[in-house]
Formats: sequence, C-alpha cells, structure tokens
Amino acid sequence: MRPALPPMLRAPRGAAVLPLLLFAAALAALGFLPLWMTSPYALHVMVLIFLAVIQGESWNVLGGYTGQYSVGHAAYFGIGAYATMMLLQYHHLAPWWGVWVSVAVAVGLGVVIGSITFRLRGPYFVLASIAVAEIIRLIALNWTDVTNGAEGILLSDIPPLTIGGRLITDFMSKVPFYYVGLALAAMTIAVNWGVQHSKLGYYFQAIREDQDAAHSLGISLTFYKNVALAISAFFTAASGAFYALYVGFVDPSTVLTVDTSVQIVLICIIGGIGTILGPVVGALVLVPLSEALRSNVIADGLFQLGVSENSRTGQFLKENLAHAHVLIYGVLVVVVILFMPEGVLGFVKGLRRRFAGKAALPAKGEA
Amino acid sequence: MIIFVQSLLSGILVGGVYALIGIGLTIIFGVMRVINFAHGDLLMLGMYLTYFFFASMGIDPFLSIVLTAPVMFVLGAFLQKVFINRVLNALPQNQILLTIGLGLVMSNTVMLLFTSDYRILTTSYSSSALHVAGISISTPLLLSFAITVAITAFLYWFLLKTDTGQAIRATAQDRDAAQLMGIDVKRMSVLATGMGTALAATAGALISPTYYIFPQVGSSFTLKAFVVVVLGGMGSIVGATLGGVVVGATESLAAVYISSGLKELVVFVLFLLVLLFRPAGLLGKSRM
Amino acid sequence: MAAPILEIDRVYKFFGGLAANADVSFSMEPGTILGLIGPNGAGKTTLFNCITGYYPPSRGEVRFEGRRMNGLQPDKVCKLGMARTWQKVRPLAKMTVLDNVMVGALARTNSLREARRAALEQLHVVRLEHKEDHLAGGLPIGERKKLEVARVLATQPRLLLLDEIMGGLNPAESEEIIQLILELKKTGRTQMVIEHDMKAIMRISDRIVVLNSGEKLAEGLPAEIVNNKDVITAYLGDSLE
Repeated sequence: MRPALPPMLRAPRGAAVLPLLLFAAALAALGFLPLWMTSPYALHVMVLIFLAVIQGESWNVLGGYTGQYSVGHAAYFGIGAYATMMLLQYHHLAPWWGVWVSVAVAVGLGVVIGSITFRLRGPYFVLASIAVAEIIRLIALNWTDVTNGAEGILLSDIPPLTIGGRLITDFMSKVPFYYVGLALAAMTIAVNWGVQHSKLGYYFQAIREDQDAAHSLGISLTFYKNVALAISAFFTAASGAFYALYVGFVDPSTVLTVDTSVQIVLICIIGGIGTILGPVVGALVLVPLSEALRSNVIADGLFQLGVSENSRTGQFLKENLAHAHVLIYGVLVVVVILFMPEGVLGFVKGLRRRFAGKAALPAKGEA
Repeated sequence: MIIFVQSLLSGILVGGVYALIGIGLTIIFGVMRVINFAHGDLLMLGMYLTYFFFASMGIDPFLSIVLTAPVMFVLGAFLQKVFINRVLNALPQNQILLTIGLGLVMSNTVMLLFTSDYRILTTSYSSSALHVAGISISTPLLLSFAITVAITAFLYWFLLKTDTGQAIRATAQDRDAAQLMGIDVKRMSVLATGMGTALAATAGALISPTYYIFPQVGSSFTLKAFVVVVLGGMGSIVGATLGGVVVGATESLAAVYISSGLKELVVFVLFLLVLLFRPAGLLGKSRM
Repeated sequence: MAAPILEIDRVYKFFGGLAANADVSFSMEPGTILGLIGPNGAGKTTLFNCITGYYPPSRGEVRFEGRRMNGLQPDKVCKLGMARTWQKVRPLAKMTVLDNVMVGALARTNSLREARRAALEQLHVVRLEHKEDHLAGGLPIGERKKLEVARVLATQPRLLLLDEIMGGLNPAESEEIIQLILELKKTGRTQMVIEHDMKAIMRISDRIVVLNSGEKLAEGLPAEIVNNKDVITAYLGDSLE
C-alpha cells in the first residue's frame, strides 16, 4: 500500500475540479452572508477572520512553502498600515490609490532586506528578521515629524468610493470592509494555490527542504527567496492597509511589535504551515477563541454553568478573562508544537490516516 | 570629556547586567542548541519575585537574590524537563516557537494575576549616587555591577574548575562526544536551563530598583540578550560577557551623542552588521 | 583529440592555513569516465565543491567547455550543464520522488507538464518509476541514491559528478549503479566518479586521478594506476594486499 500523501505534495493531475467547486461555493455563500447576517459584531468577527486569513496566507508563501521563518512580518504589515494612513490623512490620497504606494514601498524594502538577510540560515535568519522589524518600529516611533511618533495617526474619515459619479460605498458600515476583506482573503488563497501549482511552488519547497541541494539543481536561492518575500510582503502590506483603514488608527505599539509578527506566524503554525487550508483553519481557531475571551463569552458561559458570578473566582474571571486572549495564543502554540507539530490540519490528517490504515490492515491480511 | 567618561561608565555598569542576561542565554544555547525566546520573560518573573519579597516581607532586592535565584533555578529545570527537552531534535523554528509560546504564557499569566500596571520598587538608595571627580555613579547601579562581577567570577570558577562545570562545557562543545564519554547529557541540559533561568532572574532582581516592573518588560530584554549573545558568538560565555559590556556602552553613548530614543536602534543596526559580517561573533570561533 | 570538456588548472583550496587541494591539474575528454580516488581526507569532495561552485578555488582555474567557472554559483554551474550528486544524499524529504526529479527538470523548462514528462523519463532510466508517489524521505538508501542520480539527470547535464554514489550499498545495488553509469556513458555523457570500491572504479573508469593530501599523486589508465608504486605505497597498499 502506498503511504497516503497530503494532496499538496502530490503532483497536480489535470484540473482539481472538486476543490475549485468547493472554493467557489464557499465564496458565494460568504458573498451572500451579510444579507442575512446583519449584526455588526458578527460582521466584525468575520472581518477579523478575513484579516487573519490574509496575514496567514501571506506569511505562508515565505514561511510555509519556502521555509524562511520570518518573525518580522510586522514590518510589512506596519509599513502597509502606516503608508496608507499617512497618504490619506496628510496628503488626501484615496486609500485605493494609496494602498498601491504602500504595497510598493513594502515590497521594495522587503527585497532590499531580503537581499541582505537571506544569506543567513535557520535561527540566525529568524533573529535578523526580528531585528529588522524592530529597527522599523523604532524609526516609526522616533521619526515624529512624519509618523507622529508614539501617538500614532488617527484617521478622520475615508472618502466615499465613487465610480463614474456613482456612489459605490461611503465606508460607514462594516459591510464594505467585509467585502474588501473577503476579496483579499480569496485573492491570497488563490495566490497560494497558484504558487503551489507552478514552478515557483516546486522551487520554494525545494529551498525549504534542502537549500544546498536546491542550489545545486539550478535554483538561485537569493532570487527565489526574494520572489517569495515579495509576494508575502505585498499581501502582508495590503492586510496592514486594510487593518488600518478598518480600525481608523495606527501606532507603533499595535502594528509594529514583535507580538504582531508572532501572531501572524501563529495563524499558520496552529493551522498547519505550507498548506493552503492551514492559515484558514488557524484563523478559524484563533480569532473566534480570542474574541470569545475578549467579549467575556467564556466567563458568561461559566456563570451559566454554575460558577457564582459574585464569588471571588467569579469576579476574577469577569475582570480578567477578557485580557487572556494572548495567554491563549501562548498555550495554543505550546500545545501545537508539542503535540501536533504539523498543525491542526496535519493532526486531523494524521488521525484520518491512522484510522484508514487500521481499516486497511485486516483487508490485506497482515493482522 | 566628563560627559563621555560618565556615559561610558554608566554604560559599562548597565552592560554588566546585560552580560548576566546574555550568559544565561548562551549557556542554554550552548548545551542544547535552543534559542530561548522566553529569556526576557524569565527575567520579568525574577523582577516580580523580587518585588514580592520586597513589598510583602521587606527584603532588600539585592539580598533576596539568594531566594529568587534558587526558586527560578527550579522553574528553569522544570521547563527543561517538561517542555524544552521534547523539542531538542525538532526544527529550530519549532524550538523558537515553543519558547515564544512559553514566554507568552508567562507574561500573560503575570498580567492576569497582577494586571499590567507599572510597579516601582523604591529602596532607600534607589536614587542616591556617588560623586567622584565630577562623575556621578548611581548607587544601585554600582551595587548591581559589583554583584554581577562576583557572580560572573563564581560562574567562571564553576565552569572551569569543577567537574560539573567541565561536563557542561564538554556538552556545549560536542553533545554527542560528551555522551560517548559518559557525561549525563540530559542532566547537564536540566542544569544548564536551571542556571540560565536563575541568571536571568538574578539580572531581573538587580535591575528591579531602577526599572519599571510590568508584565511585558521581558520582550525588550529578550531582544537585547540576543544581541549580546550574537555579538559575543553564540555559546561563548566570555563572548557574552564582552557582548553585554559592548551593548551597554553602545546604548549609553548613543543615548548621549545621538538621541535617547534611538539608542536601541543603534544596537540593532550593530546586531545586524555583526550577524552579516561576523556571524561567529566579535571574538570569532571561541566557545565557552 | 577532441577539446577537453573539463579542465582543472593548478587548483588550490585553502581552509585557514590548510591546503585541502594543492596544485591539482587534469582534464577530461568528452564522453569518458574519470575515476577520482584517494584516501579519506585526500580532498576529493573539496575538489568537487570547487568545480561545482559550492565555493571558489583559492587559486587556479576550472574551465568547463572552455569557459572559466571560478566564482559561479552552483545554480549557474548547473544551468551551464554540469551537475553533481552529494556524498551524503540530500533528498527533498517531504516531497515525492516524482516531485524531486521534477525540481531538477524545471531547470530546463517552465512548464510543469514538460517537467513531469522529463522526470518520468529519468525515473525510468534509474528504474524508480514504481515509487513516483512515495515521499523521498521514506526511501531506503539504495533508492535514495538512484533518486539522486535521476534528479541530477533531469537537469540535462553534459558532465556528471558522482560523489560516492555506491557508498553504503549492497553488492547487488552497487552493480545496478555500475550498469547505470555504463549506460549513461553510452548516451555520450561525461562522468567524474569519486568511489572507494576499487574493483568498481577500475571497471568503469577510462582514466583515473589519484589525490593524496590534497595533491595529485598520479594519473593514468586503470592498469597503470594499479601498478603505480607511489599509489600502492600511499593508498592502495592496504586495500590490495
């Protein structure tokens, strides 16, 4: 019996029709969702999930496929956020134009950084990526004339989007953000699919598996790592711009910290790196969990289960559980690394393989 | 000139504490080849323990090290046995993520228990200073430096002269060879993590009279510890000592001559330059 | 006499003060097999690394088809038609056998379909086509070695450098590799082979170069090498007597 392979590792044979149909169906369903689901909070959670998907899928191209563990993606996220906000707030450039500028800056800077740091390997690359992101954070913090320093930039308003004099949206509700987020998320998923089913995907994975072997097979390491970084930085910056416009505020301590970088990595690690679905699973696990904690859903649930709201424990839970969402990130990553190093997706696949294997054994008469 | 000497001196004094942080990180790395991203959080725990001993029992922060260090040693040994030991053969990135996760758990647990308020530990000598030839030296900084020197001297003695110390160094040099020679490598790993943790916590205790104490204080020290260790060459204790002093002095001089906001930036640029051009550290190849 | 396909011209490689290769010169005729032998630490793999761009020679020149190769990166070297295998095999562990070979084939094409066709062809050459769907990391050593050859062949090299391709194989597997090398010779490929198995190297090589302590000790036909006094004392002494 051949060992079962994750589909991503298998060579594509003809068009993968079923996944494509599923993807289209999911997209259509999500497209109609706001017609039925009008609660601003529910929409808000969906926007956060889209954001996490965009971030995770973007990081995945560099960290998952190419194996370059950047823990400095806050740099590109922050640049996307800052540049878009500065262009809009100080130069009145509409965000749908500004985002291109900010994305170009992020990609350009990324390639410069990449050309310098990609000769480092393993933990040294990780450390360098952190250092670069910290340098950019410190610049944003100290270059007060341009970035407004620690106070950050507060957006007054987003101009309404009109095409040919017709108003498309005025960005007053969460619905336009929902659709922009959905479109970006779908786009990054499509990009990952495209990478996986092209020469790039083969080369990226070869670099991940063994740099020296890849090099000797005609793969230019610096070039292809930079291509991966450029794709990754492009969409990470776009997600930064999207986030900044949605929240209406940026400052160094929300978009440029090591924590931001770590959270981007965690989305992929928890879901399963180097797979298309991994970041989606990661986002679906992380965002609802941390939102549930933030909004005290869990504390309320515990009260319903009989924990007295007025006891000391109850008071403690009520006051503090809302702050625990980052703690959950920590616990999750420890659990995932120790018990499911290939992420939730890999874990589920492993279980399935095990059960399938058990079922197959008696049939082959090997019991 | 006075300003230069003044800032260089206080930089070196602070650098002593950085060296202690770096030595802890480098011992852990040396013995297990694991980069501990929770190092700053261990330091943070040391600060809170010190604060606790001071606030509830009135024990002087420098004296309470004799309590803090052993407690944190045990915690470090526990972390090694339960968590780090399981990823010794995993991909480096998974080791890194595990320690990042542990760090997040520590800092956020402290935040849950004690809120994210800044705490200040004020001793009778917190703001006193010695004045010599126009130069003023902060008393707590001087005291902490003296303790650092004593601990470092003890560490050198321990690693060079005792059997256990030599076993740790042998493990750091070549884990497989050490195992073949009958060294209990597992025990050395537990010891090393315990020591590294105790050193980080000691550094935390030493800076507690002069720094704000809050749950997120660790992350900037984690980064600083990397700089110190990479400057000196990963795994080298002499290198970490030197690296600590270099980072302290660089920060202090950059704060005076460039801008206090940019002092960390200067350090990170230095860090990148060393990573790129002298990846084995300023001292080159030497280990422990 | 045809123009040499590869010329090694007074190549030195220093590590610190140590010379891993010193003043090594020889050349190869197209379509021939050259055996590179020598005791452990003689500098064989170092020479491979210098030739294939893993690091540049400290002094001297490597010319491939008349072109100076010094300082070219390994990927460039591969594109120019010279490819090597690794002494310690380096499968792309989490990719399938077919994908491994496709990575090699993609050096010559951008089309996945074309690469797949070329890869299957090479898998057929090394007789590994029945394993195309297996993960490369799970193969036994003999098949890993074959995979390594198939992957390198897929880059369409005119000169192939095989570094201890029979190391760790059982006699039957070694024989398969020998047959493979001889088949490749028939297709006109030039091959340089590092090998410890003397019987094998004598059988397949047209010429042999002996390295000792980084220097070239002798060069000649297999029959000449077997009878060379220096070689016998320096190296063959132990293994043949």
